[in-house]
Amino acid sequence: MATPYGIKFAVHLITSHFGNLVANVCENLLRKGPLTLQQLIRFTELTPLQIKNSLLILIQHNCVQPFSSEQIGAGGNEVKVTQYLVLFDNILHRLRFPKFLEIVSEELDKNCGEILEGLLQHGRLTLEQIYERARDNAVQDAVRESFQKLLNSRFVERCPAPEPFVEPSTIKSSNKRGAKSAKLDEVSETEEQRVLAAAASLDTLRFSILTPSGTEFDEDKKDGDSSSSMGVGEKRKHGAADSDDAFGSNENEVILWRANFEEFTRYLRHKACIENVRARLDVGAATVLKAMLDATRSAEKKVKTENSVSLSMDTIFEEVMKSEAGRSLTLDRVRASLVQLGCSSSGTDDTYSIDLKQIIELAQKEEVESIVLRRYGRDAYRMFRLLSKAGLLQETDKIADMTFVEKKEAPKILGKLWKDEYLHMEVEYFNLLIKFTLSSNMAICDVVDKPRLTLSGMSDLVLMDQNKEIVNKFVVDRNTTFYLWKVNKPILWQHVLDEMYHAALNLSLRVIHELDQKKELLTIPPEKRTGPLEKEFKRLKNAKFFLESSLMKLDDALMLFRHF
Amino acid sequence: MSRLQEPSSLKRKQPDSRSPLDSLTEHERIIYNVIRSKQDMGIWMQDMKRVAKVPDNVANKALKSLETKKLIKEVVNIQKRGKKHYVAAEFEPATEITGGAWYSNGKMDFVVINILKDQCLKWIYKQRVATLEGILDAIRKSGISNVELTTVQIEELVRALVLDNEVVEVKSNGMGEFDSIPVGKVCYKSTSKGSRGDPKIGAMSSIPCGVCPRISDCTPDGIISPKTCKYYSQWLDF
Repeated sequence: MATPYGIKFAVHLITSHFGNLVANVCENLLRKGPLTLQQLIRFTELTPLQIKNSLLILIQHNCVQPFSSEQIGAGGNEVKVTQYLVLFDNILHRLRFPKFLEIVSEELDKNCGEILEGLLQHGRLTLEQIYERARDNAVQDAVRESFQKLLNSRFVERCPAPEPFVEPSTIKSSNKRGAKSAKLDEVSETEEQRVLAAAASLDTLRFSILTPSGTEFDEDKKDGDSSSSMGVGEKRKHGAADSDDAFGSNENEVILWRANFEEFTRYLRHKACIENVRARLDVGAATVLKAMLDATRSAEKKVKTENSVSLSMDTIFEEVMKSEAGRSLTLDRVRASLVQLGCSSSGTDDTYSIDLKQIIELAQKEEVESIVLRRYGRDAYRMFRLLSKAGLLQETDKIADMTFVEKKEAPKILGKLWKDEYLHMEVEYFNLLIKFTLSSNMAICDVVDKPRLTLSGMSDLVLMDQNKEIVNKFVVDRNTTFYLWKVNKPILWQHVLDEMYHAALNLSLRVIHELDQKKELLTIPPEKRTGPLEKEFKRLKNAKFFLESSLMKLDDALMLFRHF
Repeated sequence: MSRLQEPSSLKRKQPDSRSPLDSLTEHERIIYNVIRSKQDMGIWMQDMKRVAKVPDNVANKALKSLETKKLIKEVVNIQKRGKKHYVAAEFEPATEITGGAWYSNGKMDFVVINILKDQCLKWIYKQRVATLEGILDAIRKSGISNVELTTVQIEELVRALVLDNEVVEVKSNGMGEFDSIPVGKVCYKSTSKGSRGDPKIGAMSSIPCGVCPRISDCTPDGIISPKTCKYYSQWLDF
């Protein structure tokens, strides 16, 4: 689930796109988990109408998925209630719209790009609305063709069910969850998956323009029903009819379409893998990997798939030959590239599959190590790499020896990394193994069946009881006390991701600040901007560009840690 | 290179038959016994005085005398440089005290280490793939070191190069560039495409927040915030 700064960043995105009211509702859902309308009224202190409208916007833009389940009501009877589940990832995807548009323009064509642009702008549209948007620019047939192309490449999908029913037993924890209870994260993760799975349309329907009856939906709608078809500006009401307990349970099945974020994520994941291989190995290996991934993209079951779909040598070679870069590769070169990629033929059937998870993990490691190098220096970098490779607890002096760092300096560097939560530390005091966790700059820990222990400074240990009375004080003696360190990957990765959200938020806030500072400058018409004003205007433009392109680049790293 | 010591061993010198021990005063004997009892770890002067319970001026005199008689020696303790630390003359100080082979006078000998690391690196880049024995041989032949280096020491240096991300450790598969190396043998290779230098700068570490030491103190509206951040101001000062 989202980390603290992940939530702040998501709320920031929603605030800047839809304003404070919607952001308020969204923040409550992000912090408290799925809520009913009544609960939202209580938590947000907004009027029911304000909340309903906010929810409609969030649903329209695919940031909230309603679902219904049965709960025990006041009279002890089971009642059906509607809850609203916020989709954190879909909020973040809003940041990536320019990337999605670029993909479609590159892979397909301009017309497809325009259709996608409409879908991204409005969240969900009917086919009719899509045609309507394009009316001035192109003939309907061309639009239909482009839309079909988008569907075929799975960049567009049918919207999920407006309000699926989810078995109550599976969503027990929903209302108890608070932002603080990290332990429940896993539960909520699966809960989110369950709701999404219940809402998802069948794969056959998801990418099909035909209705179950076999007719194209817009044909039915075209005549007679035109009075009910709304303009694009009124799109919200389409996806979610305004009924009392459920939005969007419109009986007249309106088929809505939206951008398929999953496919874009998959595309970007593949691209990241290919680019990583190109930088780490060579162009040949990257070409082979690209050919294999392009050929099997639609066969992948989920985004975070660990291994690429198996292909035979013949198929791989055939696919490689399809690209210009691939035509210069011989069969031997392709074989050598496959070895470089760490995959040898599996079993007797001569098929090959590539470990994508490993490529992603390497890329993540590179990113974290790069932070350590630039923030803490080369000695820290070496120490961090040693610990990350070892994967188990190592003693200070041993680390110093292996990394050629002065034994006196080593504890200082390791301590700094620990304070910033890049390392995990344990102290062995005689036979006590003491585990440390950080809590607002104080190290707190439990020794089994012993009073709580706090660490003050790096030079002595203070043993305190529950009332924070000092029980004992030990001067750290090198002969009896050993500091042990290790990289705790899952925790660290989460921490790095949170720092990235924090950095992304800072970049966005700085853009706003820069523009705010020079508000007057922006109101001056271009012909009057001369001399120093012109210079200042250029600086502002550069700063904005610099910050925004950094945010896009940082978002690649965000995706690497969150979605890949 | 003479500063590179052999890994310490508890070398015990045979005491002389006409031992200067016989001529020790009462206090000298007490102090000597305290120091000697600590074997190769030795003892810090102040700790020794506390244990021996001898007045300061007497202790100082006795220490001087014991040193002249070559019964004890002063060594530099890497953990407490500048504090007088004594070891009985018959012991070689422990690596915990001296720091080990790569230390000299209580300090890590970076000049020697860097020269040797550089030599190892040059050889690996020249050969593209090298074994420890190959590197050791090349360094011996180059005559750069006048002290006999061991395979263990070369391994320590090359491992540090791996941690620096300058070279990678691989196992020979006996094919291609490995054809002269037995299959399964650990060897060292230059990193991606033979280009040296810093690793790729990540997306996070190329912006101020990625390298910021105060990021945990930074909040949207706090004293440290993206609005007031001086690192941002420097960064955006075109």
